[in-house]
Amino acid sequence: MPLKLKIHNYYIVFEKRYETGILYKVLVTIIAVIASFIIAGLIFLMLGFSPLEIYKMIINTFTSVGLMHETLLRSTPIILAALGLSIAFKMNFWNIGAEGQLYMGAFAATGVVLLHVYYGMISPDLLLLVMLLASFIAGSAWCLFPAFLKTRLGANEIITTLMMNYIAILFVNYLIFGPWRDPQGYGFPFSVNFPPYARPSLPFMSVGTLMLTWSLVTASLVFSMLKYTIPGFEIRVVGQNLEAAKYAGMNISSTIMLGSLLSGGLSGIAGMVTVTTLIGRLTPDVSPGYGYMAIIVAYLAGLNPLLIIPAGILFGGLLTAGDAMQYALSMPKTGAQILQALIFLFTLLGEFVKRYGVTVVRSGGKDGRS
Amino acid sequence: MVAAEVLTLEAAITGAVAAGTIYLLAATGEVLTERSGILNLGLEGIMLMGAAASFIFTLSFGHLAGIVASMVVGALMALLLVFFVVTLRLNQVVTGLALTMFGTGLSGFIGAPEVRRSIVKMLNPSVPEEIVLLNQAPRLPDAPIPVLKDLPIVGKAFFSHNLIVYASLIFAVLLWVLLFRTKWGLSIRSVGENPAMADALGVNVYRIRYLSTMIGGALGGLSGAYLFLGYQPFWVEQITRGRGFIALALVILAAWSPLRAILVAYLFGGIEAFQYRVPLLGLGAQTPQFVLMLPYAVTILTLVILSFSKVRRRIGAPAALGLPYSREE
Repeated sequence: MPLKLKIHNYYIVFEKRYETGILYKVLVTIIAVIASFIIAGLIFLMLGFSPLEIYKMIINTFTSVGLMHETLLRSTPIILAALGLSIAFKMNFWNIGAEGQLYMGAFAATGVVLLHVYYGMISPDLLLLVMLLASFIAGSAWCLFPAFLKTRLGANEIITTLMMNYIAILFVNYLIFGPWRDPQGYGFPFSVNFPPYARPSLPFMSVGTLMLTWSLVTASLVFSMLKYTIPGFEIRVVGQNLEAAKYAGMNISSTIMLGSLLSGGLSGIAGMVTVTTLIGRLTPDVSPGYGYMAIIVAYLAGLNPLLIIPAGILFGGLLTAGDAMQYALSMPKTGAQILQALIFLFTLLGEFVKRYGVTVVRSGGKDGRS
Repeated sequence: MVAAEVLTLEAAITGAVAAGTIYLLAATGEVLTERSGILNLGLEGIMLMGAAASFIFTLSFGHLAGIVASMVVGALMALLLVFFVVTLRLNQVVTGLALTMFGTGLSGFIGAPEVRRSIVKMLNPSVPEEIVLLNQAPRLPDAPIPVLKDLPIVGKAFFSHNLIVYASLIFAVLLWVLLFRTKWGLSIRSVGENPAMADALGVNVYRIRYLSTMIGGALGGLSGAYLFLGYQPFWVEQITRGRGFIALALVILAAWSPLRAILVAYLFGGIEAFQYRVPLLGLGAQTPQFVLMLPYAVTILTLVILSFSKVRRRIGAPAALGLPYSREE
């Protein structure tokens, strides 16, 4: 019995669809985003803010070249973490811990810089490479622990990864308020500033473009890994049909461990990107919730690594616009969060529309497709 | 002198009950929700919205309005969740997370001073501005129970709190009776265990899931109101600090029983109360972050212990927990 909702003389009928084209999916997603903007606008209007001003600022963010650079910088950690999450979610490993893994990546990258600055270890040429490795390892370790608890003991990873977020953030806070505080920083909770060679840059392109390129390369790698390699295939099968994976003799535990390694590692790199490009030192507020936004972005992109790029840029832009709203309209910064969460909810509604075709039927019997 | 007073057993239990009530309300509601087969990962967001609603309505019309508003808001948030996961059959984990994010954003927004001021002005223009702009609400008064409060040790520990604390205990006991001693409870549990069978026997699966989730949401909202009005009456963004997620873990630890939820909630309340006593013992003053990690670390540890197969055999999650139900499949 298909689901029916009755409105006046019409039934809205939802029937299961079995095949949907990518264009249809993208169209539904775009409509979902627009719908969430409209609902957010209504909420803001009710709370005394002009939606038109807000829309203007969001559009402005995407049309101004100067702001685009900021947007690209802010979208990179979101994109990298979302790429990692797309791997985890593909195998139904609910890694909600990207935020903590990102903090651990930021911690490790900073640790390497401090080893260099305080003890003269690691030559400047190798510094960025070592930081990259360290942040990957720290992020993946933070994800492998819950994955281990899940595969060996069956502990629910949703809660463990979430708890690990709080622990990671408190740990980074401890370091910044304690041993890693800059001795010349007038007591402010900051690490020392990173030297220029610890911050990625290329002579012939802006940091924003460099980061976009980096995102594109990573997305292509993740896409190819999932599509063309054996571990990628196993990750997809474990998510889609666990029984089939078992029957085919796949080692499910090691697949989940490998997927978690990559997932956490990418979030770790996102943490390194945050401290090296955006801030240039370790601070208590490394991330305004990039790891949580990454969950939304991964879903908005339908877990497709290539679509994560535009979805991530949208979210980077919303963050930039959120700052503008805070200054120009004195709107609390959580306003951007409401908009993001609404995009999430409407994306889920979109999931439903993608799965079930919508038909409007007159209760008299004559039907008209919409 | 202060240290000596707060380190007594009596003070420790009192603190555990006071903090544990936050967990108890949220976990009791979630036990009901999960017994009907719905996993509400939006609990954290519901608690935050409950806290924010209680703040605004207490400022406007007093404590009672604040408490009622928190429950209504909690139930409405849960309605959104249950519509998504029961009627539209969307993934419960993802929907719950989305709801938590929505609650986090919206509660932070309406709780912020400037927005709060315009809402309160709309609701009740006679409230003086300076009260609205303070990040505080009047604390819910304690209502010690005569006679019982004078019992040694347990008197102060259990019977000297505000009314929500007593209500939470009554709710937990009532819910246990409802679930395990009535026909309705049997229907709720059967829907959580085997919805197709329950449906075949004439139980309205959808209605039970809607009601259980909404009542659970109302209790989650009340938990937020208690946290803000009764436990920590100064407003900060994300005031729950992950307690909604910890409550989800407590439901597992309580083996989906409202009575065991009382014990488990007070245990975690004890840990939380202990955090604030650690500095008084002269420990961790330099490194408060490690003390603050405690509840999260203990939650992970709990899940690990619960996962050992011997323990797991004794407790059973509702078999249909987290699974959407539809007649056509």
